[in-house]
Amino acid sequence: MSSIELRVRLVDRRWRRVISRTLIYLAFAVITVVMLYPFYYMALNAFRSLDQYYAGHGFSLASWRNLFNALPVGRELLNSTIITLGAIALILVVSTTGGYAFAVLRYRASRLVFLVVVATMMVPMQSIIAPEYVNLANLGFINHRYGAILVYAALGAPFSTFLMTTYFRRIPEDVIEAALIDGLGYGRVFFLIMLPLALPAIFTIAVLQFIQVWDDLLIGLLFLQTPDVRPITVGLATIPSQHLLDVPLLMAGSLISALPAVVVYLIFQRYLMTGLTMGISK
Amino acid sequence: MEAEQPPSTWRHRRLRHRQTDPLAAQRRRVGLLFTLPGVGLIGALLIYPIGQTVYHSFTSWDGITSRWVGGATYSHLVHNPEFTQVLENNAILVLAIPVAIAFPLAVAFLIHGKIRGWRFFRSVFFLPTAVSWVVIGFISVRFFANDGILQHLLNNVGLGFVHPDMLSHERSALVAVMITFVWSMFGTNLIIFLAGMATIDEEIYDAARVDGAGSFSVMFRITIPLLKRFVQFTFIITLITAFTALFSLIFVMTGGGPGYGTTTLEFFIYEQAFSAGDFGLASTAGVVLFVAVAAVTLLQLRLLRIED
Repeated sequence: MSSIELRVRLVDRRWRRVISRTLIYLAFAVITVVMLYPFYYMALNAFRSLDQYYAGHGFSLASWRNLFNALPVGRELLNSTIITLGAIALILVVSTTGGYAFAVLRYRASRLVFLVVVATMMVPMQSIIAPEYVNLANLGFINHRYGAILVYAALGAPFSTFLMTTYFRRIPEDVIEAALIDGLGYGRVFFLIMLPLALPAIFTIAVLQFIQVWDDLLIGLLFLQTPDVRPITVGLATIPSQHLLDVPLLMAGSLISALPAVVVYLIFQRYLMTGLTMGISK
Repeated sequence: MEAEQPPSTWRHRRLRHRQTDPLAAQRRRVGLLFTLPGVGLIGALLIYPIGQTVYHSFTSWDGITSRWVGGATYSHLVHNPEFTQVLENNAILVLAIPVAIAFPLAVAFLIHGKIRGWRFFRSVFFLPTAVSWVVIGFISVRFFANDGILQHLLNNVGLGFVHPDMLSHERSALVAVMITFVWSMFGTNLIIFLAGMATIDEEIYDAARVDGAGSFSVMFRITIPLLKRFVQFTFIITLITAFTALFSLIFVMTGGGPGYGTTTLEFFIYEQAFSAGDFGLASTAGVVLFVAVAAVTLLQLRLLRIED
């Protein structure tokens, strides 16, 4: 091969590299626009009056005034917060205790119980929605936030318990045995050693469940129907039909209801992503 | 000949030791105590109701009184023309799954080629995962509506004479739901594939490159076969999302319509129970949904285990 030929080949390869890089970035730019445009559209039109929306330009806060007149937004955001934090707290209690028991405190049949708990991950809420509703109605739990909190906690518990169990299993047995030799009981081992070690997993569960519960509609729609207890998603999804043509109002409502979960996502996305992939990595 | 030793004497001794140990008794006691809250919650609010669903799928039930009718609700369901359409809608939804997997797989492959700023792209692509289906639904309606963004785009490129008006026709409304679904699943599946690619040994790529393999043959001959487990995992997740998590999207976007055009199984259950008041039929459809989800999940897990 002559040196000229070689140089032509190298230049050729470099050009192909540049072209393929450019094409990749172009593709990514297109995908970025496709992914972000809907949110841009929402944010833009949330700050327009109805006339400005039709005209396609302008800035106004009228939509926000209309939104707050149409819905008790503050109240609904408070309800969403209470329900989400309540459910997260309950899920953390049952998943850390359960995970510790299944991973460390094995007893007869604990493996079987663990398998049953994991299997309940496959139960779709819609499959059990009819009896669930009837049961909670019979207990008088409808239109009380604690009713919805219990249901959300039950829905989040199987996966969270599974995640905590796999996490606790990875903690070396020596750590626990050393503490036991030092005279700590199994209860104190949990509070003084296991919980602090499990903080990353606890964070992951909290973030996953925050987004799950905050964004949900179905449970709130059925179990929290009165305006004073319903979360923001329910208020928005059941907005009286006379507002359905008021696009700026709908976009303002969408924006404020999406914002808390998006902020949590942007701050804690690392935990969310590990939580998502934890199910597959052994 | 050596004296036969039990394979793990130390372990037996340790087990015996543990059984007489007061610590072992404490372990069992605390173990039972610590499983109670979770098992109580899951038992009362997931396992008990699934039992009720199965029982009531054989009854005529309005939420207050129920009467045993055997398999009648099942034959009633099968002969219900609306239910046939519901199953058809679910079958069509399945067609979105390969698309929802192929796109992120291709992009994960590109991102893994060490693109500068890939963290930014990853965050952007994953954003819809953090946003409620209710919000996505409201925006999606603005996109597909007759005077919406899609129509504006068509007008701008000189195709203004085309009026897809997708939400007003049964099939196209379902396609609009599917497009929205694929769009929002993109980030989730992308993250899974990126995690999968991180598990592949870089040396394999180097070896392939030395052997003169191009990008495409690397992708199809090396990356995808090694990612099989992750592809199957995304398949389960995507299918379960399509079958059990689109309620809010459909509720906001189309309300199940036009007609029964976008009524999927999960939406049908909601409608039967809370609009028609037929809790028995809702339970029967609930069993169908549960069996479908469980069957796919178990089948996939089985496949995974056999190949390992």
